[in-house]
Amino acid sequence: MEIGIEHYLTVAAMLFTLGVFGIFLNRKNVIIILLSVELILLSVNINLVAFSSYMGDLVGQVFTMLILTVAAAEASIGLAILVVYFRNRGSIAVEDIHLMKG
Amino acid sequence: MNEIFPNLAVAYGEIFLGIGAMALLMIGVFKKDSVNLVSWLSAIFLVVALFLTVAGTGDVTYTFNNMFVADKFTNFMKILVLVAATLAVIMSREFFRLEGDDRFEFPVLMVLSTLGMMVMVSANDLMTLYMGIELQSLALYVLAAFKRDSERSTEAGLKYFVLGALSSGILLYGCSLVYGFIGSTNFSAISMAVSNMGEGGAPVGAIVGLVFVLAGLAFKVSAVPFHMWTPDVYEGSQTPVTAFFAVAPKVAALALLSRTLYVPFGEMSASWGQVVIFMSVASMILGSFAAIMQSNIKRLMAYSSIGHVGFALLGLIAGNAEGLRGVMIYMAIYLVMNVGMFVCIMCMRRKEEGMVEDIKELSGLGRNHPALALAISIFMFSLAGVPPLAGFFAKWYVIIPIVNAGYFTLATIAVLASVVGAYYYIRIVKIMYFDEPVEEFVAQKSFPMKIIATLSAVLVLAFIVPQISSPVLDGATAAAQGLSQK
Amino acid sequence: MVTAITFYIFATILVGSAIMVVFSKNPVHSVLFLILAFFNAAGLFVLLGAEFVAMILVIVYVGAVAVMFLFVVMMLDINFTELRKGVQDYLPIGLLIGFILLAEMVIIAGGWTMTDGIATAMTTATPPASEVTNTDAIGRVLYTDYIFLFQLAGLILLVAMIGAIVLTHRKRDGVKKQNIGDQVRRRRSDAYEAVDVKPGSGI
Repeated sequence: MEIGIEHYLTVAAMLFTLGVFGIFLNRKNVIIILLSVELILLSVNINLVAFSSYMGDLVGQVFTMLILTVAAAEASIGLAILVVYFRNRGSIAVEDIHLMKG
Repeated sequence: MNEIFPNLAVAYGEIFLGIGAMALLMIGVFKKDSVNLVSWLSAIFLVVALFLTVAGTGDVTYTFNNMFVADKFTNFMKILVLVAATLAVIMSREFFRLEGDDRFEFPVLMVLSTLGMMVMVSANDLMTLYMGIELQSLALYVLAAFKRDSERSTEAGLKYFVLGALSSGILLYGCSLVYGFIGSTNFSAISMAVSNMGEGGAPVGAIVGLVFVLAGLAFKVSAVPFHMWTPDVYEGSQTPVTAFFAVAPKVAALALLSRTLYVPFGEMSASWGQVVIFMSVASMILGSFAAIMQSNIKRLMAYSSIGHVGFALLGLIAGNAEGLRGVMIYMAIYLVMNVGMFVCIMCMRRKEEGMVEDIKELSGLGRNHPALALAISIFMFSLAGVPPLAGFFAKWYVIIPIVNAGYFTLATIAVLASVVGAYYYIRIVKIMYFDEPVEEFVAQKSFPMKIIATLSAVLVLAFIVPQISSPVLDGATAAAQGLSQK
Repeated sequence: MVTAITFYIFATILVGSAIMVVFSKNPVHSVLFLILAFFNAAGLFVLLGAEFVAMILVIVYVGAVAVMFLFVVMMLDINFTELRKGVQDYLPIGLLIGFILLAEMVIIAGGWTMTDGIATAMTTATPPASEVTNTDAIGRVLYTDYIFLFQLAGLILLVAMIGAIVLTHRKRDGVKKQNIGDQVRRRRSDAYEAVDVKPGSGI
């Protein structure tokens, strides 16, 4: 049985959907939102590596490495903002983020 | 690997800012009480980067393995970004001098964010695009949450971060699809590949990828339906941060959007045209109607900026050099109006309470502070698009290409939206001059602020004079022709 | 055949743990499932012949990012019982939209074929694996063709460092720290003062 690129792309699509799902349906916890963002980035990485492998082109893997680096930076800033937010509000529930209507 | 050593000359501005930012960081860390020094040095570095950028010939030059491009278009847009950033640094200096809570990281982060914007403007590859956007946004997330003991500021930072990270993810997913279905991330290569596709057109995957990329970029310019973060972030952040957010990142993101739509995907205008039309119309309408109910002046400016982005997008719909020229002129005028307006907002403060943000408190300003009220009125009329002020010409230069391209309905909607929008701008003028005055407040009397406010007011008034407007118009014409020919 | 079995094992655990990341009641469990997901994604990368990226994923993500998440989750004193209520309110409509989105993306993915157009558009062809290892091949382009992006990545990490310090670092009063320089520099004259006290007058 042959594993084609569509298998990998399907797995990536599932992770992407789960990530978006986690961001929009989560009403309780900001940390889950940050984790969902990581899932989305992971799905992008799988996409890129799969394309790179089946096309025989290295750009996809270079792009993946850049995304890994930036995602680490993004996670650290996100967590820093979350920590200062928690210090001010004493909660990280999504429902509590409503000081300004919007 | 056709070039052994990349051509650095076209990126001197970026290199200088990168090294400069690190030097500023060192000064800030190792020299005690150096906030003033670091701030002014940041402004100076930004001006130097501006000169290094202008020194470029304006010929189309690719470097760094074709991932970085410099031409007349990038020069024009980088000038706008750097002017906006310099003024924002100066304004923030004045603000923090009064407010206290001085930290030298603030200007350093602004410089790094500006560097990200310059990379965005010069991006000629999806990877450069992504790195530029992230360098800019990560610094902006921190700036939004910079007042870390304020609930509003941290909430603004958190909201901006969550939605920004989501939009980056969507943008990246689009990039990966484009890469897979077209075979390259390079704009020149994509452009070539798309034009070679012929009969069948681009594969569905590439079109879906393009839509995802568009959605991600729409978030960065805060076009409807990706505008939700704008009012909250503008209201929650400190005023100099809002002043920075309102201009420089918008200019950079719009420049990036223009290049992405015109260069790699120029042949696919049938696919993106509908999306951009929807975003433009929705932004104009929402910007006009939602602003009416606002009572906070920073929120009002947020909705105003959403509306203005809608107008600027009009130029892209025309899909030709004339439309692109309109976008560039629009952003130049938008910069002057917004910088002026935010200087005025920062001038309004009470001794104990700090900044005045409620629109009702502006009443009686016409009597208490006639100069300030006059300046605000000029900016408000200009933002509303009343002739013969600059704001009118901005709208004129984007609506005319639309009419020439045959989008009459769109042009009608634009005019109607600007009429509705005029209501809330002029309401502020009415409150200032005709409502019962409330308690007077201490207007800020610092010299740089006065200079910036006066200069931008004069520019707004004098745009009708050909000697003033022709450099902008000619520069935009040359730049637009260069970009849309490719 | 072996490839197919390995793929399905990795893919199933990956998707399963991703589901648990989103639906788990306890954030600590979510983070642990995220780590499991990263390990299995790394397995998929190895199957695709991208060993270097796979190793980086394990080292950077599991080693740094996930641990940072765990650290923050445990540092923030969150009341987990209050977070019990999950996503039930919007679950049906969310599932529906999710499945439509997924189906569309899978259909798009199924349409991929290697065309001549893609072959001509490619810029950096992978050298044959028999001659150059994956790590070597990436190293050859990363520091030459993509040096600009590499430098930008460094600046982004710098911004992240400044940002995290600016936001979370606090100077606290009342925390006692040892400053060896001060201790060594301390002289006898700093430590005491000889006062000549006259009888009956006090100080």
